[in-house]
Amino acid sequence: MSAGTKPPLLRVEGLGVSFAAVRAVKAVSFELQPGEILGIVGESGSGKSVTCRALMGLLPGAAHATGSVTLEGRELLGLSEQAWCAIRGREIGMIFQNPASHLDPLSRIGTQVAAPMIRHLGIGRREGLRRATALLDSVGIRQPEKRVHSYPHEFSGGMKQRAMIAAAIGCGPRLLIADEPTTALDVTVQARILELLRRLNEERGLAIIFISHDLSVIADICSRVIVMRGGEVVEHGPVRQIIGQPRHAYTRLLVDSQPGRKGFPPPLPAADIAAPLLSVEDMSVVFPARRRPLIGKAAAFQALDGVTIRVEAGETVGIVGESGSGKSTLARTIVRQNRPSGGTVRFDGEDVPALSGKALARFRRRVQMVFQNPYDSLNPRMTVTDAVAEPIWRHGLADRRSAVKQAQALLEMVELPSALRERKPHQLSGGQCQRVGLARALALKPQMLVADEITSALDVTTQAQILQLLIRLQRERALALLYISHDLAVVAGMCRRVYVFKEGRVVETGMADEVLSAPRHPYTQELVASLSHLAPATAGTSRPTGNCHESR
Amino acid sequence: MNVLSALVRRLLQLIGVMIGIAIVSFLMVHLAPGDPVSLLAGDRTNPAVIAGIRHQYGLDLPLWRQFIVYVGNLMHGDIGRSLRFQQPVAELIVRFMWPTLFLTGYVLCLAIPSTMALAVIAARRPGGFADQTIRAIGIVGLAIPVFWLGIMMSRLFGVTLGWFPVSGYGVGVGDHLYHLFLPALSTAIWLVPVLTQSLRAALIDGTNADFVTAARAQSASEREIFWKTILPNSVLPTLNLLGVMVAFLIGGAIIVEIVYAVPGLGSLMIGALLGRDYYVVQGLALVFAMATVAVTLIVDLLTAFIDPRVRV
Repeated sequence: MSAGTKPPLLRVEGLGVSFAAVRAVKAVSFELQPGEILGIVGESGSGKSVTCRALMGLLPGAAHATGSVTLEGRELLGLSEQAWCAIRGREIGMIFQNPASHLDPLSRIGTQVAAPMIRHLGIGRREGLRRATALLDSVGIRQPEKRVHSYPHEFSGGMKQRAMIAAAIGCGPRLLIADEPTTALDVTVQARILELLRRLNEERGLAIIFISHDLSVIADICSRVIVMRGGEVVEHGPVRQIIGQPRHAYTRLLVDSQPGRKGFPPPLPAADIAAPLLSVEDMSVVFPARRRPLIGKAAAFQALDGVTIRVEAGETVGIVGESGSGKSTLARTIVRQNRPSGGTVRFDGEDVPALSGKALARFRRRVQMVFQNPYDSLNPRMTVTDAVAEPIWRHGLADRRSAVKQAQALLEMVELPSALRERKPHQLSGGQCQRVGLARALALKPQMLVADEITSALDVTTQAQILQLLIRLQRERALALLYISHDLAVVAGMCRRVYVFKEGRVVETGMADEVLSAPRHPYTQELVASLSHLAPATAGTSRPTGNCHESR
Repeated sequence: MNVLSALVRRLLQLIGVMIGIAIVSFLMVHLAPGDPVSLLAGDRTNPAVIAGIRHQYGLDLPLWRQFIVYVGNLMHGDIGRSLRFQQPVAELIVRFMWPTLFLTGYVLCLAIPSTMALAVIAARRPGGFADQTIRAIGIVGLAIPVFWLGIMMSRLFGVTLGWFPVSGYGVGVGDHLYHLFLPALSTAIWLVPVLTQSLRAALIDGTNADFVTAARAQSASEREIFWKTILPNSVLPTLNLLGVMVAFLIGGAIIVEIVYAVPGLGSLMIGALLGRDYYVVQGLALVFAMATVAVTLIVDLLTAFIDPRVRV
């Protein structure tokens, strides 16, 4: 593909970036044809973002770039700041991972979309706003005439990313650099943003460099892909080839780590006992509105509305939904962080919100929670061994000395190297930290684990390891597991039954493979359709059902 | 629209605040030791005269009835008569207020531009030579007590060099500026370092913000990024701090006013306290509290003007 006769739009040769003594990027070379979509994949710290900043001349002052980057034959490295200003936003546009933090909170969307055009094209403010309106329309924002006057905080995450895209393509650049543009977004929103990028690519012949840690997203949109690790390109080629016949060991690991890619052992069939371990019936949670004297009319927010779920002993149940669908509220209500305003929560027959005294302490031992952000959920001043030991002695299950011994055993079980056990959380990686979080949750020998998005802050490869560990522990200890995630692929891969949440309600429920292969509710259908899949490497599996059958 | 509703909401809150202030200032004065009557009548008056004066001022009534009378008078804008000056307290306060307000404004005119300049220079290269120097001088400025600095400056510039007058307020704006230069300067010398450190920290944060990177990626010039993006996003914490400081200056310019003999609220306060001029103290407490509330309100309105997210 890259062997076309046309001169490449962008040619990168031997690009190296170093920060003082640290070489973040080493000898990266690739070419990009006009109108091509090139993917760069790699985990955090692989140098993919630094590479792109170098292409934009946006490296911090301490960084030093070597090698050569040419855009249509023109050397970019070493350009003066003034010369760069004629290129950034004009020839090359860029969008970022977190659209919320990349828009100026104090100025209107229209002003921000119009700014690059006013700067580069020499048009007036009024004309700029008119074009900004047209751009917002073309990136799929409804009522653009009204929305140009909005501020960023009035936009949803997906709309903010659309606005960023509008600002980036306003001057008609030839190349768009997209640095993890959908990582912070819900899957359904992600699918729509990818669709938009694909459309812009076709309609405008916009070449895109698409950076992601998620190989399935890359496979969805790119024709060629570069795999980076430790600042180096480890593999480079057409998507189909990289995913179908990965040559480098790291690429193989990356492919195998995709959710649902690797077969988990089949979930245990639940014992058919009459009384479930956890049963939530017709539960509602309402957050009262903020009181605003005189002009107050803000309605109370209904986070959960008539939710009914049940979890049997030893069963793995998945909860799927986008952000704001109430899945975390459910988890928090089960562990008594919120009070339900209606309905019942029963654990092993006991009414959870009514528990007190000894019964409450017993409930807290039997139900444990693992959180999304491992760094935030561990005390930064405690060593990880102490953090795991704390619940044991606090519940009076052992004295401090033997609690520490038990903690060591638990950390052994979650495969945390013994050299790391006296460290503080910030000295560990995200994956190691989440292992500690798991060990702490298991310290009280619970019967049920509530896992709220525990892998969404982690790289794909780390995610796969943590899930593997979770499944092993769950089987060894016959834990009931309530696994909450926005990622249908992960949930379907490891859970027996799933509940699909939308706007505080359960819109669909059933056996995981049935929900995935034959979704009935329109929202679930959208969710399934927006799953980006690797091109089927294993022959003959149809798109949505592939994962399930593998895991059977 | 939204700003208007925020204003209405704040004014409503103000009612509660004012009631609280009225109660506290009333109780403070009445529960404090000492007797205003003996001040009026002298120590050696016969008890019948004292009782007569008590009755005349309503001081023989129970505390709650005195409070009701007090609130009733407040409603009519009457905050009492000075025992010493034999003038309405309101008139007195208005007369003494102008020098204080003028001084406060003067301090702001000196402090705000220099704060901006110093913070920008310091934030340009954090930890660099300029930054270190500004910080070091700032610490010295903070550490020197205002009364000592005031006395030294009035001796040097006023007495030895004869450049500036060492006391009074003068007549006319030009004369005010001339007379109040030293007091304003000595106040600004401790105010500027406080504000500079706050603004510098916010500017450094702002420089590293994601939206600044995004603006660079759209090839905004550094000048444009600074004035249109970094500064507006960084100025809010310092604006709030400035609000607190202004409220403090209105009520707390006492030392500077005494040292330079400025006929302002600070001088009035000291005189009233030493002379047990109850109603003046009470009125001043009320005025200071109101000034604080008003300054906070202005700062909040400015904040809402700058930041659309608080206009809710």
